[in-house]
Amino acid sequence: MNLPRRFICVITDEQCSPVELAGMALDGGARMVQLRRKGASGRELFEWAVRVQELCHRHEAIFIVNDRVDIALAMNADGVHLGQEDLPVAAAREILGPDAVIGVSVSCVEEARKAHDDGASYIGLGHIFPTSSKEKSSPPLGTTAIETVSKAVDLPVVAIGGIGPVNAAGVIRAGASGIAVISAVTGAANPVMATRELVRTIWQ
Amino acid sequence: MIANRQSLPRLCIVSGGGEHADMKGSALRQASALGHSGAVMYQLREKGLLGGRLYELACRLKPLLARSGSLLQINDRADIAQASGADGVHLPESSCPAVTIRKAFPLLLAGQSVHSVRAAREAEKSGIHYLLFGPVFPTPSKERFGPPQGLENLEKVCRTVSIPVYALGGVTPERALACIECGAWGVAALAPFLDAGSLPVTVESYRSYLPT
Repeated sequence: MNLPRRFICVITDEQCSPVELAGMALDGGARMVQLRRKGASGRELFEWAVRVQELCHRHEAIFIVNDRVDIALAMNADGVHLGQEDLPVAAAREILGPDAVIGVSVSCVEEARKAHDDGASYIGLGHIFPTSSKEKSSPPLGTTAIETVSKAVDLPVVAIGGIGPVNAAGVIRAGASGIAVISAVTGAANPVMATRELVRTIWQ
Repeated sequence: MIANRQSLPRLCIVSGGGEHADMKGSALRQASALGHSGAVMYQLREKGLLGGRLYELACRLKPLLARSGSLLQINDRADIAQASGADGVHLPESSCPAVTIRKAFPLLLAGQSVHSVRAAREAEKSGIHYLLFGPVFPTPSKERFGPPQGLENLEKVCRTVSIPVYALGGVTPERALACIECGAWGVAALAPFLDAGSLPVTVESYRSYLPT
């Protein structure tokens, strides 16, 4: 499956209803939704996934599941997003097949190269700017990392971490194809408008 | 290849659940201690481990367990079961629907934990190959599943379904025979096997009460 040339990916957070959030982000023009909820049971994830996937289909957007390759396959989702401590990329590719979207979180060129060699479809690079969405032990990478990684590895780069309307254009200029957001959308007074503004920014 | 009913081991050992914390290495010690003894079903249930480490651990356990012809079942994660070459997946009651997992991973031996006759019937209909039912007897680790179900409910479940049922929860070697008499195919336990040093003796003790 091909990724859009430029896109906003919204990741569900630990508080909001994933279905509600996905609906608003898709209305705002997000082209990818990643279902992520650490600690949820398989059944909870499955039930959310059914509804989020339906919304994604309706908007012709890509639907991926964080970490759980089993649920992605059981759902026939478009793919998965894997962290460095999740199931190895090559194993996920083996299970999901050549057409699945497999994203991999990386924080440096070495990890990006490995993700490429193991069969990733895109790399999630971050965190670019300071962010409150996750506890971070390392300093932000800055947009120069996007330039370095996108030049070194022939895969779309989806930048994540502290990206909003103010700095999104610079992220795209640095070479990112996509921007993944959590709090920029979930924390907004109007998530639909917040997504729409991000979409407008990346296409300017 | 999915094991048929006749070839499923009578004893199921559930891992300690502390691989992410103070029991690191416990599963490998248990699998090593099994040596070349008779076959058991070993369920790797380590909810605290992230996917990558769970996968690595499963990959290392598989050849150790193979020496005794034992089966390796991965709790909850069919993807990790398939990727690691384990025999199958053991679904908790709150898992992704069994029927979807069976369809997506048709080659895995699929078990499920159930706590009622209704859930047992549903699991069988979904194509689940075997069940864990409990807690049959009082046990501190299973308090969250409510009061013990007793042998009466075990018997009801065993009469309702035709797939093998393992009795779980406070099943000591001495109590294993009563479970078999209620129609259970085998028994499952966690705590009695935590000490790898005495594991072979404990396994033998269970075996002496179980059909061959």
